[in-house]
Amino acid sequence: MTDNETTSSIRGERDLANAQDIIVCEGVSKWFGDFQALNNVSATIKEQEVVVVLGPSGSGKSTWIRCINRLEQHQEGRIMVDGVELSNDLRNIEKVRSEVGMVFQMFNLFPHLTVRDNVSLAPIWVRKKPRAEAEEQAASLLERVGIPEQADKFPGQLSGGQQQRVAIARALAMEPKIMLFDEPTSALDPEMIKEVLDVMKELALSGMTMMVVTHEMGFAKEVADKIMFMEGGQIVEIGTPDHFFTNPTEERTKLFLSQIL
Amino acid sequence: MNLKNFTSQKQLKTDPLAEASNSELPPKAPVLSPAEWLKANLFSNTFNSVLTILSTAAILLIIRGLLSFIFNPLRQWSATATNMRLLMTQAYPEHQYARIWVSLGFLLFLTGVSLAFWRAGRSVLLSQVGKRLLAIGSFIVLVTLLAPFSSEATIIWLIVGVFIAGTGFLLKSSREDKTTSSMTLLSGAFLLAILSLWVIPYGHHSYISTRTPKILAEPGTVAMTTKLPWTIMLVVAICSYFLGSLIRDKIDEAKGKALLSTTWLISPLFLLFLVLRDPDFDTGHLFSTDIPIFLFFSIVGSVILLWLTNPDIGEKGRVISTAILFVGFATFLFQMLMIVRILTLVLAFFALAAPTFSGQKPARIRYTKVWIGTMVILCWLITAINTPSTAKVPGDFFIGGFAITLMIFFFTMVLAFPLGVLLALARTSKFPIFRMVSTTFIEFIRGVPLITILIFFSVMVPLFLPDGMDLTEIAAVTIAFIIFEAAYLAENVRGGLQSVTRGQHEAAEAVGMTNAQKTFFIVLPQALRVAIPPMVGQIIATFKETGLLAIIGIFDFLYIARSVIPGQTEFMGSTRENLLFVSLVYLVICFSMSKASQRVEKRVGLGER
Ligand SMILES: Nc1ncnc2c1ncn2[C@@H]1O[C@H](COP(=O)(O)OP(=O)(O)OP(=O)(O)O)[C@@H](O)[C@H]1O
Ligand SMILES: [Mg+2]
Repeated sequence: MTDNETTSSIRGERDLANAQDIIVCEGVSKWFGDFQALNNVSATIKEQEVVVVLGPSGSGKSTWIRCINRLEQHQEGRIMVDGVELSNDLRNIEKVRSEVGMVFQMFNLFPHLTVRDNVSLAPIWVRKKPRAEAEEQAASLLERVGIPEQADKFPGQLSGGQQQRVAIARALAMEPKIMLFDEPTSALDPEMIKEVLDVMKELALSGMTMMVVTHEMGFAKEVADKIMFMEGGQIVEIGTPDHFFTNPTEERTKLFLSQIL
Repeated sequence: MNLKNFTSQKQLKTDPLAEASNSELPPKAPVLSPAEWLKANLFSNTFNSVLTILSTAAILLIIRGLLSFIFNPLRQWSATATNMRLLMTQAYPEHQYARIWVSLGFLLFLTGVSLAFWRAGRSVLLSQVGKRLLAIGSFIVLVTLLAPFSSEATIIWLIVGVFIAGTGFLLKSSREDKTTSSMTLLSGAFLLAILSLWVIPYGHHSYISTRTPKILAEPGTVAMTTKLPWTIMLVVAICSYFLGSLIRDKIDEAKGKALLSTTWLISPLFLLFLVLRDPDFDTGHLFSTDIPIFLFFSIVGSVILLWLTNPDIGEKGRVISTAILFVGFATFLFQMLMIVRILTLVLAFFALAAPTFSGQKPARIRYTKVWIGTMVILCWLITAINTPSTAKVPGDFFIGGFAITLMIFFFTMVLAFPLGVLLALARTSKFPIFRMVSTTFIEFIRGVPLITILIFFSVMVPLFLPDGMDLTEIAAVTIAFIIFEAAYLAENVRGGLQSVTRGQHEAAEAVGMTNAQKTFFIVLPQALRVAIPPMVGQIIATFKETGLLAIIGIFDFLYIARSVIPGQTEFMGSTRENLLFVSLVYLVICFSMSKASQRVEKRVGLGER
């Protein structure tokens, strides 16, 4: 495994060896009724690391990533996020959720609020920021994702790519330490995918810890520090993009790659 | 890497609105001449022609029947007209009648300003107006020819009809781009109606069917006593509209609208309990009890709430607010003023909600202001209700007739709505006990006819009340209405709540909102929007259901029309006329409510698409 090497990607040389562990999963299992969606998943993600999770449909990628901010509850094992263990304690959950940003496949913007309010609502009421400050921050985040002029529109008036960028800005407004992306480009038309991926690349460059479920192999090759391959609710293989795309160890990985490449 | 430049270029291409703006206009539907239209729509084949002829004959017969009923010399329309005051306000004292006009004037003032603020006027094509007028004029002519009028009356009505139709015809051919505001039309219509008060002595239809039609204006008919006030009302409405448009451009529009909405909610209370009721305040009691209680609650409450809205307060806050809630319940175990119990419970509610709205200083101060505002209104209302009225009226309430219908309707709507929302939230909540209580309540109320609940509340509940507590019949009946409507509104709201997708819940949770914040900021606004159409239907139904008041013997509109007026010696047996008038009023109001709601729906839907 190439876990502890210094990685080199478009992000330049970074010393991940000495970075802190920020997400720790130990033997996480999850059932939907009788169906086991996660089977003993163990993995560690370090600060500033970009991890891409790959795998065939139904392999449990979404379920896992959603367990990390407890949109789903795991039934066995432990998940630690930034030193806080996820349990039934409501306060821990709210604390973790305000540290972890999430971007959904279907954007899930709040349709009754303007773009500006979408971005500034949580900082005002969850982070308790003064409104003026939160709106200023919203403006600068919209600038960062490249749509400063859309602040007064409603989500329904934006294109898919623009909506997904607003969703990223909304998550960033909470100043999270970790960003989770669940297939952020799967619902987009091909010409809009790039504008969202560009924003994500920029975010990776800025040093954000990211966990990305995606089918965009180009993004995985270019940006990821680590690729995790899942199948049947298990992590089958973990490795650098180089290792993963050129000589994967596992048969199942090879099969998956031969199907998609 | 320069991300910004890149994306903004890209976005120009993909912005869907940019493309929509320069698309072409759709082709116009071809214009048919009347003859062509008739042929295409009514006489397209033999069967259709027969149908058309038969149904036209039927319609004409019905109109003629109705007309000969309405214009039958036996009809006593003056019963309605002469008793207009009784119908509207029952026995409200005549020397205090100015209060009614002041209240109405204030509401019209609010209406005018609000119409301006919400830019209610819409421009209407003059040619369209012409078409309508032409139709109305022709209808009048048709009616006149069918009606059993005297020849003079026929001539007068024919002239009127032809005049209207002629104006319509002239306007109809005016240019395509000539428009007028619907507000102008509306005030024009009102102006005509009010002018007619100055000309026609309503209550006397002597020109019908008699050889020498005479027009008499007896002092005391509706027209005599109301023409001046109505004229002033119209002036007030129009002036306030222009005032509204002037102010609108000077101040922050959103703030103005918020202020107006609050005024709309509160002003009926003020008008009813301060202006119309004219309470005879007992200064001694006021200074010894009411004001101290108000001051105590607003000051102590503000301090507590300022402290509780501190974001860092944590667990301590929860303990304190729960303690206040227990104190609130405990007050019912001891002898004390009802107002203290109510205010303590309200304070507990505010305290429990405090973490949801906590924040930096401005947010905390805003929350405290809302608290003080609530105190002002509650204390004042409770005091006013408990003070005897100077308007002495037979019966246990100071006003009746249409006014009481409106009043009960208003209270039902204002209070049933929040109760309904709470019930819906409880029914969908995670706590089984809430779910159970709410479901039982809703299903029980929905399974029982409204009239049963009304009778129960007006007859039985006063018997069950503990000593020292009494409830006027009107209050009991209003509570019955509130409970009934809340159960139905709750179901509408629940439908809305279910329409909010799981993704919305997850998105709100993912940014770390608490359950209360998620409900208040994300779920409810969307749910209510979806629930508007069914809720409007429910509101209209409620308005019609106020007619049941007559059955339990409250002196409402319908009761007076059905039982009081026909009992007067000079109007013996005039039930049908009065009932027709009452139906007409209900019809006009319900119809305009449903029209207005269609426009509101469109506006509210704007944000979504
Ligand atoms: N709420 C649920 N109830 C029952 N089964 C579920 C639920 N959510 C997911 N599953 C099942 O769990 C398995 C894993 O689902 P998951 O959504 O995590 O897959 P995925 O890897 O994200 O797939 P995709 O690439 O299609 O999004 C699937 O077989 C799915 O049918
Ligand atoms: Mg998935």
